[in-house]
Amino acid sequence: MITRAKIISVVLLLGLGAVPLASGNEYVLNMCCMLFLYITLSQSWNILGGYAGQVNVGQAAFFGVGALATRLLWTAGVPLYVSIGAGGLASVLLAVIIGLPALRLKGHYFAIGTLAVAWIARITVGNVLPGISFLPTRQMATYSLVPRYYIFFAVMMGALLTIYFVVNSRTGLGMEATRDDEDAAQTAGVDIFKYKVIAFLISSFFAGLAGACFGYFHASYYWHLPFSLMWCFEPILIVFIGGVGTFAGPIAGSVCYVLLKEAFALTLGEMNVLIFGIVFILTILFFPKGIIGLPSTLREFFRKGRRPTLAAGAADDR
Amino acid sequence: MKAKKCAVFAVITLVAFLLFSVTPLFAQSAAPKTIKIGASIALTGSFAAGGNDVANGYKVALKHINDEGGIMVKEFNRKIPIELVIYDDESDPSKTVTRLEKLNGDKVVAYLGEFGSDMNIAGLAIAEKNKIPWVGVTISVENAFNQGFKYTFAPNMFSYMEVAAFYNALDSIPKDQRPKKIANFELQVDWGKECSKYLNQYAKERGYTVAVEQKYAPDTKDFSSLILAAKSAGCDAAFSVPTPPQSMALIKQMKELDYAPKATCFIRGPDLSNYWDVMGKDANYIMCAGEWTADMPYPGNKKLVADYKAMFPNRLLGMPVGNGYSAFQVLADAIAKAPKLDRESIRQALTTVDVMTVKGRVTFDKRGIGNVPWVLAQWQNGKMEIVTAPDFKPAPVLLAPPWTKR
Repeated sequence: MITRAKIISVVLLLGLGAVPLASGNEYVLNMCCMLFLYITLSQSWNILGGYAGQVNVGQAAFFGVGALATRLLWTAGVPLYVSIGAGGLASVLLAVIIGLPALRLKGHYFAIGTLAVAWIARITVGNVLPGISFLPTRQMATYSLVPRYYIFFAVMMGALLTIYFVVNSRTGLGMEATRDDEDAAQTAGVDIFKYKVIAFLISSFFAGLAGACFGYFHASYYWHLPFSLMWCFEPILIVFIGGVGTFAGPIAGSVCYVLLKEAFALTLGEMNVLIFGIVFILTILFFPKGIIGLPSTLREFFRKGRRPTLAAGAADDR
Repeated sequence: MKAKKCAVFAVITLVAFLLFSVTPLFAQSAAPKTIKIGASIALTGSFAAGGNDVANGYKVALKHINDEGGIMVKEFNRKIPIELVIYDDESDPSKTVTRLEKLNGDKVVAYLGEFGSDMNIAGLAIAEKNKIPWVGVTISVENAFNQGFKYTFAPNMFSYMEVAAFYNALDSIPKDQRPKKIANFELQVDWGKECSKYLNQYAKERGYTVAVEQKYAPDTKDFSSLILAAKSAGCDAAFSVPTPPQSMALIKQMKELDYAPKATCFIRGPDLSNYWDVMGKDANYIMCAGEWTADMPYPGNKKLVADYKAMFPNRLLGMPVGNGYSAFQVLADAIAKAPKLDRESIRQALTTVDVMTVKGRVTFDKRGIGNVPWVLAQWQNGKMEIVTAPDFKPAPVLLAPPWTKR
């Protein structure tokens, strides 16, 4: 069925696709690339953490492996699209080797286990590749943000479409059942391990592709940079700002995170991190459903004439 | 009637077209109100301490230049004040890239560097891509300047200079007291590896022995195995390039394990202004990079120190302040020498810069690496003293006594 939301989405996507043609401004293209990157990365976290209920605090490992594989292959002369695809697959391989055994862990133990994977990855890469990755001279000479914009855009669209169809399918129902109550779901015959695995593999694939885009995007960086722990925490932050377990939440959260942070950094100087932190805390406290849940939260507030419930109580409303 | 209207319309169109075509010519010959220079600096995050020092050094230099009316620009034959635009990149190299793109859109004529290798590495490549001259501040990795980049310049000591300065300091010690066995604690980054290479190379040339080589990662917090290896090998000198927190942890653990080499040189870490506040007398005898101190006898230093204290009364005066000020002087000199106020002219002027700054004379080699004085400093009774310098008589290197006697 063609809805107004779908029409708006299509128009928006067509508009985004035309940005490099309409504007040669490198800053605008750069910001869009970052926005697409964070949407991809936060969606990849959301399908595992928001839909399947498995809180992965080690997303940087998969992001970093994707960046590493792509950068090594591409700078060695392997065609770009093959290198980027290899980045996604490398992350899936890591997920199979380390992530699947980790899925036997539950709750906080899974979170700690994935964080450990990220730490190990970062230290290993830092020791094995302590130096800087520079683009070869010929690639520096032809560096352009336009193809990078479209690659980021294509990866983001791939992530959005895949995750949209998965979460709106029986697989998505299985994931949500796993998230809501593993024991009850298992008793009802849901193969919870299967849905965790599917979520994990999709999550790692798109985290790897996001990393691949990172490896393609940067002209020079320390090899360990895409393994930095900030890539673990930023997607979680974004999803919570936008709305956990919703399709639009990571999109809204990414827009808010990227644009608001940028605006604060350019105008507030040293205070920008503090101000953003305060905004984040207030959002979590008073709008626990995130930006996506804002209309319903406000509606409830005005209807009942009382303050929105804090995070602990509102979690049950989902 | 119709013909008359057409004629009027044609005249108006012609006049408008001429104005549109001619106006840019007039606009080009009008001098800009300011010379815009940009920097993306870590004002928040893990590198904020040094980042703010660099930013403040820039601000003092900006004040001094603008108090004189600005820079004399040859193209317009008049002085034009500088407008310095600083954006916070939160110690995140990805944001460094974004901020520098914003500055490119703001039409800056040059970039200034910042504090922190991760961000500087990301920044210099963007400068090359955007063809905007970049004058770095605290970057010491030679490899970054072996890439054939044309737009990047760094008027500071690099790895081979720092190691050579360390050996100069050892050479200045009387022969009968001179440490000969060196323990190299290699930080597992490009810079650390370069320093190791030159440490071994110069050791052979200058009659020293690198008796122990131990590696550690940037996140390492426990250095006991390194320290014990150096102690059991009888090393009487130690060299490393730790991160600032690591430099403090290393000293504390050396004290706990009672390892007191006569000469300890941690290029990075002890050069920060708050090192003595944090470490107290344990910082005594520690050598570090001495690129700039408040007491250096170069022109302009006293004014820099006095005005810095007036502008930032609550901030300590760290080495990055002088480094930042010096980089600004270099860039200003290039702008003054450039025949035109555009990026390419400024870049070319930078290649032939020869200017005296608050940390000594600066020129550049073909790679953009600064030919600068090789200087080492040492904490001596709460004060950072220069112990090796080519241009003036330094203080003597003090040999560290055992920990129990400090």
